[in-house]
Amino acid sequence: MVQSKKQRYLFLSFCLLPTFIVFCIFTVYPMLGGLYYSFFDWSGTSSVKEFIGFDNYKQLLRDSVIPKAILNDYFFVFVKVLGIMILSLFFAVALTQLRIKEAPFYRIVFFFPNIMSVVVIGILWQFIYDPNIGIVNSLLNAIGLEQWAKPWLGDMTWALPSIAIPAIWAGIGLFMLLLMGGITNISKSLYEAAEIDGASEWQQFWKITVPLIWPQIKTSIIYIVITSLNGSFVLVQVMTGGGPGNATEVLGSYLYQRAFEDFKFGYGAAIGVLILVISLLTVIILQFVLKKEKVEY
Amino acid sequence: MKGTVYKKSWLFLLATLLLLVLAACSDNTATPDDTETDPESTSTDEEAGGISGELEIQYFVGGYGDTWWKTVIEDFKKAYPDVEVIEHSGPDINTEMNTRWISNDPPDVVYIDGNGSNETQMISDGQLMDISEWAKGITLEDGTPLLDSFISPVEELDGGKIYSLPLVFDTWGVWYDGNWFEEQGWEAPSDFDSWLASMKQIKEDTGIAPFNTTGQYPQYFQRGVLYPAFGAAGGEELLNNLSNGVVEAWESDEALEVMKKVEAIVDAGLVDTGFAAYSHTQSQMNFLLHKNAYIPVGFWLPNEMINDTPEGFEYSFVPTPMNDAGEPMALVPDIRPVAIAQEADNPEAAKAFLEFIFTEKYAQKFAESTGAIMNLKNVDLSSNNNVPAFLKGINEMINNPGAIQIYERSTPTDTKEQEINVEMTNEIKLQIVEILMGRIDAEEFVERITNKAKELRGV
Repeated sequence: MVQSKKQRYLFLSFCLLPTFIVFCIFTVYPMLGGLYYSFFDWSGTSSVKEFIGFDNYKQLLRDSVIPKAILNDYFFVFVKVLGIMILSLFFAVALTQLRIKEAPFYRIVFFFPNIMSVVVIGILWQFIYDPNIGIVNSLLNAIGLEQWAKPWLGDMTWALPSIAIPAIWAGIGLFMLLLMGGITNISKSLYEAAEIDGASEWQQFWKITVPLIWPQIKTSIIYIVITSLNGSFVLVQVMTGGGPGNATEVLGSYLYQRAFEDFKFGYGAAIGVLILVISLLTVIILQFVLKKEKVEY
Repeated sequence: MKGTVYKKSWLFLLATLLLLVLAACSDNTATPDDTETDPESTSTDEEAGGISGELEIQYFVGGYGDTWWKTVIEDFKKAYPDVEVIEHSGPDINTEMNTRWISNDPPDVVYIDGNGSNETQMISDGQLMDISEWAKGITLEDGTPLLDSFISPVEELDGGKIYSLPLVFDTWGVWYDGNWFEEQGWEAPSDFDSWLASMKQIKEDTGIAPFNTTGQYPQYFQRGVLYPAFGAAGGEELLNNLSNGVVEAWESDEALEVMKKVEAIVDAGLVDTGFAAYSHTQSQMNFLLHKNAYIPVGFWLPNEMINDTPEGFEYSFVPTPMNDAGEPMALVPDIRPVAIAQEADNPEAAKAFLEFIFTEKYAQKFAESTGAIMNLKNVDLSSNNNVPAFLKGINEMINNPGAIQIYERSTPTDTKEQEINVEMTNEIKLQIVEILMGRIDAEEFVERITNKAKELRGV
């Protein structure tokens, strides 16, 4: 039976309708709600709110914490993309191509942080960094590097990198599995042919592995960027609360402070809109930067 | 046949569900309608002095626990058997009940404490009932007017309006382990010089940094050290002007003197270097483990850390000794109030409940179960064996004028002033971390805060 184009569209629309409705209720509506509230002076705890137009946005431009928070957000994006991609790619290649007997065990070990709550991870690493009882300073003291021991999370310079390390640690497992899936789908004959042609392991990696798992790499990078811009908040909030001073403040933690501690919900909503705009712009730019022809051999 | 039975059971189930829904709806709508449209029954109730109906109470459960609330509510139920009390409580209750407040359907009574609650904001949003007339008429068992019986007086706004009753008298001070001090032969300080000397001595004897606080919540230092210091240096006026961002106050000699004292503590290396990263519980844990000797916290500390307190640890409290030698020690109360919602469904029951809790009996029970003081004067805790020793001492001091000086901190009622207060607090919190880390000195601290005050006031 030949289906008309119209019938096909109708059928597809009917199938997509429930998802579309759910998406509108749980994603579009709250987003529009956030945008709406950003035009009000509202504490977020009562029905009294005053329309103030773009005042919250004007205040965003004058707020000295905002540029710092944006920079910190991008710091997380940069180090997480770099750290997670390099390490997960390394472990994915090692566990698929080196024929390690304990590979299944390592897969579980590396994936383990992904099933832990971010709050638990934050608290765990707080103990690791504790200047008095933490393992980092204890190790440094034990090997005679006392001068390097410091209050990691309480140091203006080191607090941000100190949070980035658990953020990378917690992210490796998931992307390692994603890349492993891509690598195991590559035909062995390609590597055999390359080997016969005299290609080194390094050349095989760059000329066969990377191009053929590029879709997975691209998806991973975009995913890491989005989760970094929106998700660094929890780890920051648990480990330093944005401090010391504003040294580790990200837009999410600043939004939380303004909306729920200072009772400036309207201003918090404006920060939320800013996060949305920044995330969208970043992803659009990334799509262009990472655009690459699909490779097939 | 089978199909018909099946169909019938479905019909029966549907009909039952429909009936249940109707019954539930009619029940809900009937109650307020009855109250509104049947004036006779209401007046009969009032004539009889009967308090009935539902009474919803929202209370935050934090460091003080909920034992006191449970006891009080049980006793209230016995005294008012026609009142059905509905409790909304927990550590996140302010967030959980937020939607009720936003939709103008709040509980009747609210205890304002914990994250997500702010009395000033609630008053400015018109969420709390003006209880001035009623409150002025309440007397205690001995006939004393309630308003004359508070340690920290009720705050009257807009020319005498009362929106809340001050229930909990908490205050910040510094804590130390009395047993440890006795073992080591250290003495509790009574002024800034003796405090500095004590901390230097402790550092010399043990090698630890004697002072710790939480850098994640710098308001602990702000309220626990700076407020009493400002009070001691320039009285109530300076304290309020500084926290409200009055430029001249920040340019005063007293403000700089206070910050010089903070600088002296930092310069002597007496602050735990890890403080900036610590949450309040981490810093308190380190204090309990003798990693530090002094910590500024409110009365709730022993109750909050009850499960982590090492054996032999004796909680000992002293008003933060930032005062000069020979001057009285300063206390700045941190009051936790109770109030009635403007949109309360049962204000009469709410008033009966508030009147019920302000008695010596419940003040005693409060001290027993929370380790803090209820805001009532002349409550004799000395013979109550269930009250911790530190609380008896401080209660005696509070009720004995002259031993210490109490400075009240008032919050501005004007919306713009409130906003300045919030921004000033944020700036002070930021600069507290900077000065305690030794990144700025007293002059820079004062300069930065003064500049912020000027910016906020457009000077």
